[in-house]
Amino acid sequence: MSLRKPSVLPGFGLTFGFTTFFLSAIVLLPLAALVLAAASMHWADFVRVISSPRALGSYRLSFGASLLAASINLVFGLIIAWTLVRYEFPGRKLIDALIDMPFALPTAVSGIALTTVFAPNGWIGRYLEPLGVKVAYTWLGVTLALTLISMPFAVRAVQPALLEVQRELEEAAETLGAGRFYVFRRIILPTVLPALLTGFTLSFARAVGEYGSVIFIAGNLPMKTEITPLLIVIHLEEFDYQGAAALGVVMLTISFGVLLAINLLQGWGRRRHVQAAH
Amino acid sequence: MSITLDQITKRYAGIPVVNDVSLDIGDGEFFVLLGPSGSGKSTLLRAVAGLSTVDHGRIALHGRDVTHVAARKRGVGLVFQNYALFRHMTVAENIEFALRVRRVRARARRQRRQELLRLVALDGLDDRLPAQLSGGQQQRVAVARALAHKPEVLLLDEPFGALDAKIREELRRTIRQVQRELGITTVLVTHDQEEAFALADRIGIMNLGRLLEVGAPHELYSRPTTRFVATFLGAANLFLARRTPEGVQVGATIMAAAEHSPAAPEHEVVAVVRPEEVELAASREALGSRYLGRGVVDEVMFTGALERLRVRLADSTPASLLAFADGEANTALQVTRTRPAHRGVEVRAGQEVAIGVRRVHVLPTPLSSFTACAATALLAEALRGQPLLAQLVARMRTRVAVRLEPQLGVPDAPCATQAAFVGTTVIGSQSECAQRAEWLLRRGAKDLLVLPAHAVAPQRVLIHWMGDAARSATLAVSASVLRHVPAEAVYVGIFPDDPEGTRAPQGMRTLLDARSEAQAAHGLEMRTELRFGEVAEQLARRLAEAPAQMLIIGVSGLARFGERFRALLDGGQWPVLIVQRGPP
Repeated sequence: MSLRKPSVLPGFGLTFGFTTFFLSAIVLLPLAALVLAAASMHWADFVRVISSPRALGSYRLSFGASLLAASINLVFGLIIAWTLVRYEFPGRKLIDALIDMPFALPTAVSGIALTTVFAPNGWIGRYLEPLGVKVAYTWLGVTLALTLISMPFAVRAVQPALLEVQRELEEAAETLGAGRFYVFRRIILPTVLPALLTGFTLSFARAVGEYGSVIFIAGNLPMKTEITPLLIVIHLEEFDYQGAAALGVVMLTISFGVLLAINLLQGWGRRRHVQAAH
Repeated sequence: MSITLDQITKRYAGIPVVNDVSLDIGDGEFFVLLGPSGSGKSTLLRAVAGLSTVDHGRIALHGRDVTHVAARKRGVGLVFQNYALFRHMTVAENIEFALRVRRVRARARRQRRQELLRLVALDGLDDRLPAQLSGGQQQRVAVARALAHKPEVLLLDEPFGALDAKIREELRRTIRQVQRELGITTVLVTHDQEEAFALADRIGIMNLGRLLEVGAPHELYSRPTTRFVATFLGAANLFLARRTPEGVQVGATIMAAAEHSPAAPEHEVVAVVRPEEVELAASREALGSRYLGRGVVDEVMFTGALERLRVRLADSTPASLLAFADGEANTALQVTRTRPAHRGVEVRAGQEVAIGVRRVHVLPTPLSSFTACAATALLAEALRGQPLLAQLVARMRTRVAVRLEPQLGVPDAPCATQAAFVGTTVIGSQSECAQRAEWLLRRGAKDLLVLPAHAVAPQRVLIHWMGDAARSATLAVSASVLRHVPAEAVYVGIFPDDPEGTRAPQGMRTLLDARSEAQAAHGLEMRTELRFGEVAEQLARRLAEAPAQMLIIGVSGLARFGERFRALLDGGQWPVLIVQRGPP
């Protein structure tokens, strides 16, 4: 399509230019700098840094725990959003406001709070300890911290979509003989699926980049409870800027891959729903 | 019977939105529930579908009690006003939904789908998405979808509401055709009377949660029994008329009414004159029908086949025309004329004409008009503005006259006004109310409403009568009142103290008789209660139990009236309507 064609939307040139500039200035440029910093390394050094056992361990934890946290939020975010949208109960507004707390709290505070509760002598930790469940200073703690700080994304993404599911659609399905679960699976879920995926993506992205809350509860044992962002910081503290950049590039690549995959999935779903609607 | 509703009541926040509705719908019948918005018709339909629970009553489909059966097990098909199609599914998937739920095989599903698409004239659109269809097509899909599982009953909730006029008519024809072809019992909810006429075998008209009248379209149109139905179903001119031994007197003219009962004593009635039953001519002699009076043409509107006119009655015409449009005071007579009639006598706005009436229908309602009665004009005006009275008057499309009786309640003083008491007399509820009430009842007032200044619309109306002479009149008045307030009716049977319990069976029988008479004669559904003790005391106690109650009490004599009713009337917080019949 030629950009010179008269368009129904005026100001396309201006807005497009603006978009490009902004994306370049605040997203692409720093990323390019990062890649450049890494590119100044020797290839062998680069491979050594990013494939060291300690780095591999940190990827596993960072991405594994983030995916798990996003999945947990997918399920519970939907349930929380459902409760907030569908039911009237005293304190609903309060709970609705509480959802956003993890947004407002400095993440370090969340980390300290979680550690207080889940440390072996903490409020809950002390009861889990005899059962052989260790939360603080294990991967479980990392997942917990990531779940907490990314939860608002999942809830807030699904909430508006659930509001739009018409009661009438469910009623129609009900009169046609569908049970509660069938209605959920065939009517509600397909309608909110795009929003759910968005929520999942946002949660995941937030979790992967998280640093502050995790370092308190993780214990940071190399190979066991060390997340990639922490490893990057350790490299920085040793003034190994190139090593840090190399790890950064890996994170960037994997994150981009996952987000792109989800986006494509979403696009495919949307096309299926409104196939050639116009 | 295909659908049987027995005393269905549904309340929201204490106010009944569906109020004691009983109805039988036959196999293969096309039944239309007609009413203004908020009349409870959609709630009733949802109750039949199982989408809303009922607080009281029983629902049966084909003899099977489904009151507590979930919607998905009721075997009904429901079509919504906004289609409610599943937007992420194709037409085919939408239609097959009910079959897929029932695990019907793909081949059988496809076959049924094609059958249904042919039925609603949408062949070949299987793979479209709802967003790619027009409104009319979407609603056809919705109808097909609702029929897929071969439901016993098809329910349609304002199915044409979102469509424009032309498509509406086309779809209407399709639905009628589908219904005939399948012979499926169908209930359609609408607020559009034209739609109701076009589709219905029978129409049920609802207002304020009550099912007022049920009948074939032409029957309801030509012989309505309530003023709501008379004015809602087509246009109507309402007159305050007098029933005399000779016939119905509208203004100075006496006309034979279709339903004449010479036995009844002379009294005020409400007469209906349809706009098409009015004849206009240049002079009285040229009229082919009974002369009503003279008037001036206010407005002439050409609407194609019909000509609509508004004719203002001349002051010399003694007929009292009631407001007919939305309770708004209006003294113009509505007239419609066909082209031949209008070619015969051409009229223009501003022209004076003679008005004739071909046919008058008298409503059997016992409450015709109200008269606010007080000692001073100021008190009478205050009474006239009382909110409950104003609400009743607006809903009944009637009026309030004023009657001044300076000596109201003074023993042995005569009436200041010579004229007989007409309609329902209203007095305020001050001290010595019982005495004033007796004073009026002894001087000829038949129906007397005692109205406290702060009385609000009742949620419950208690009914009781003392002496059989007042029974049928009390029931008729109660039925009329209850058509105009969204309240539940409770008949309170009261018997003298009964320590041995020997009177209980007799009491029960009286209650059941009262209930069945109310239902048979007036279509009024009422609950019953049995109490023992002194009548006025028991009623006062019952009224004090809950706020927003009203009492309708029938009396057949005035012996010891003041003494007995002082507790009930003096300084009471509730409205009391006294119905006096029989020898004074």
